[in-house]
Amino acid sequence: MAAPKGGYFGRILEIDLTKEGYKTRQVSDELYRKYIGGSGLGAYFLFDELSGKVDPLSKDNFIFFGVGPLNGTYCPSTRLNITFKSPHTGLFGHAEVGGGFGNEIKWAGWDGILVKGKSRLPVWIHIKDDEVRFVDARKTLWGKDTHATDEAIKAELKDPDVKTVCIGPAGENGITYSCITVDRFRAAGRSGAGCLLGSKNLKAIAVAGTKSVPVVDNEQFLKAARRAKKLAVDLEAWQGIKRWGTAGLLELKNWISGSLVTKNYQTTWYPDIEEIGGEQAARVFWKRHTACPHCPVHCMKLGVIREGKYAGLIAEGPEYETGTMMGSNCLVADFDGCIKAIELCDAMGLDTISMGNVLGYTMELIDREIITYKDLDGIELEWGEVDAMIELIRKVAHKDGEAGKLLGLGVKKMGEKIGKGADYYAIHCKGQELAAHDPRGDKARGYSYALGQRGGCHHEGTNPKKHAQWAMLNSLVMCSFVGGYPWGAYTPQVFTAMLNPLCGWNMTDDEYWVTGKRIITLERCFNMREGISRKDDVLPKRLLTEKLPEGPKKGAVVTPEEMKKMQDEYYAYFSWDENGLPTEKTLKELGLEFAIG
Amino acid sequence: MEREESKIQDVLEKETTRRGFLKGAVAAAGGAAALAAMGGIKPAPVEAAKPEKKAIMKYLFVERQNCTGCRACEYACSLKHEGVVRPSTSRIFVRKFHGIIDVPVVCWNCDDAPCIAACPTTPNALGKDPETGAIKLNEKVCLGAKCNKCFEACPAQFLRRHPDTGQPLFCDLCDGDPECVKACDEQAGNPQGPCLMAGKLGFGVNMAYKAVTPEKAAEALHLNFYYPNKAGERR
Repeated sequence: MAAPKGGYFGRILEIDLTKEGYKTRQVSDELYRKYIGGSGLGAYFLFDELSGKVDPLSKDNFIFFGVGPLNGTYCPSTRLNITFKSPHTGLFGHAEVGGGFGNEIKWAGWDGILVKGKSRLPVWIHIKDDEVRFVDARKTLWGKDTHATDEAIKAELKDPDVKTVCIGPAGENGITYSCITVDRFRAAGRSGAGCLLGSKNLKAIAVAGTKSVPVVDNEQFLKAARRAKKLAVDLEAWQGIKRWGTAGLLELKNWISGSLVTKNYQTTWYPDIEEIGGEQAARVFWKRHTACPHCPVHCMKLGVIREGKYAGLIAEGPEYETGTMMGSNCLVADFDGCIKAIELCDAMGLDTISMGNVLGYTMELIDREIITYKDLDGIELEWGEVDAMIELIRKVAHKDGEAGKLLGLGVKKMGEKIGKGADYYAIHCKGQELAAHDPRGDKARGYSYALGQRGGCHHEGTNPKKHAQWAMLNSLVMCSFVGGYPWGAYTPQVFTAMLNPLCGWNMTDDEYWVTGKRIITLERCFNMREGISRKDDVLPKRLLTEKLPEGPKKGAVVTPEEMKKMQDEYYAYFSWDENGLPTEKTLKELGLEFAIG
Repeated sequence: MEREESKIQDVLEKETTRRGFLKGAVAAAGGAAALAAMGGIKPAPVEAAKPEKKAIMKYLFVERQNCTGCRACEYACSLKHEGVVRPSTSRIFVRKFHGIIDVPVVCWNCDDAPCIAACPTTPNALGKDPETGAIKLNEKVCLGAKCNKCFEACPAQFLRRHPDTGQPLFCDLCDGDPECVKACDEQAGNPQGPCLMAGKLGFGVNMAYKAVTPEKAAEALHLNFYYPNKAGERR
């Protein structure tokens, strides 16, 4: 039990909402080296302290705001990781988000915040270095949208530099795909973190810190970090991301990759893409480029709608995911309406990916006459009807009426509830709605959707080795734009060169990959307890049977053989058995003896 | 504004004498674009002839519209002055307003230095560096957390307290070679240029801008960027 020498403070803030108290949990260097931080450490806490089959919305479930060793140091583009048992899927859940909150936790002298229990009344928490304060949120914050909450906290504390995370009305009302919002426009979207925070009656956390992260060998570390930053600055491919953000991909994926999700995964060809794409956004909408702490890529774009119905609306986006799910997936060709829908999701604290998927799914059900307008409280939802979408988003966020309750379930449970073959059109993996890359056009995404431990997520790596790499990125809590591509998915040297002088370790490439495997395997062990095995690691039926009808990848489909090959390859890489379960031998090799049985 | 811009263009394009250039620039100062223009004119021909001697920069300029809020300047500043990354001790800081505006706050190096005038200690804890003109703090004399005079006097609300000592954090321009400018230069690029620039002369711009508090700057930027959102409301 040695205290960490550098990179970490060796202590995690453990908040007990039931008692309105907190304590410091000491964490040893050995544990950090084994699980790094972020989602890796979160997975360890979840597996260790939660018994299987616990209700995600009970007070036993907890939420870990994790950061890694690189947060708060010179290393660019560090983020925040949130790990928990997902109320949306009932499985291991995590979400990553940019913005300043992660670094601020570190500068306040903590390696993470563990929130346990359940408050009797709505509260929010103010953390200033070692001070932790519980504040009544009933009158000031509860019921407010995410923008107003952030503003109100800053006004109340009279501190404009404080960093906040908060939930919107959707989280308060227990919509299982609601998100946690950081710095107003950045969302930890997937898996329903906001719902969990809402169930704990915790509206927001505000952090301000004045410390610095200890570094073992500052000179060597800075040398490595400067080199790493240079790689990110110079990368040719990111010049486009700097200019267009991820919205530039909207056109690219439509015209070239053939993986732009359109019409609830019926096709990948959307002729109206120019109406909602990056070019259009740059022409009529964007005003500013903004960046996460120390990030040279500045991929976030802010803009204002200049005329028409929504004139004066300031919003962030469209990004690739939000623009696709709220745009082409619902056949929306109205740029202003699309932005309004995205902004409303941000304000209400809803995951735009899941919400867009749910709306597209509902449109298809209406189209196929499986449900009628009556089930939607008379709202006339059709393909491309933005106004109806906006009304439904409001209803979902407030769990208002039959429509709000139905759409608030997510596509899997909607399909089960409606019956009449509706579940065939529900595009999800393990209960999590698929994101904006169609795996028929972009086959490698199949790995991410089908085999990712948090379900239908586009962000888990596009081959087995990348899964290990992404697990490391989520544990180091690095941005995948900077950490994933320019620093190399296959060359961990950039990371080990930074980690070793920072923490006083001597991590080799092999250890790096083993750590990645260990984290994925532990996440799998957690999911195994919930009954996940090979049968769940598949893409939705539609993507395995229906061929793409048009577009650059016309006729493409993921065949069952391809699906089987993906699974086999994946299980083989992580040395799991053919049923997709980690074997005793593997667990022993990875130092996860406690997970046996 | 259009007229001013064309004037700046003239200033840039014409091969003017140094005297003429100064005149034109001072006339244009005040428009935000003027700052960009001045940043654009980097080494004057005289200095270019002998590159071995690096020019001492005496003023910082900010093109606020270009700030991406990445805080690289804070990282570089605290690294230079404290040896670690610790933005709470940085001598420059970026303040975020409403989550949509980033305002970098710098010391304008006022010619009349109200902070020095306000300092109650004898001998004065504050003084101008003879070489760079930067305001320097004598930490042994400063009263620290007990005194609030310079904080109140600073028209730009630039001063913050060091979290450990309680003393004000003064920008020393890194002895004429500001680290924040280098960091900003490296960080920015496509599509917008850097936000921070250093200059050997203040051109009076520093005096014109010194009374702009971060709040006022944010208000102006808000109007500038997010027109037609006149009231500054979200929708």
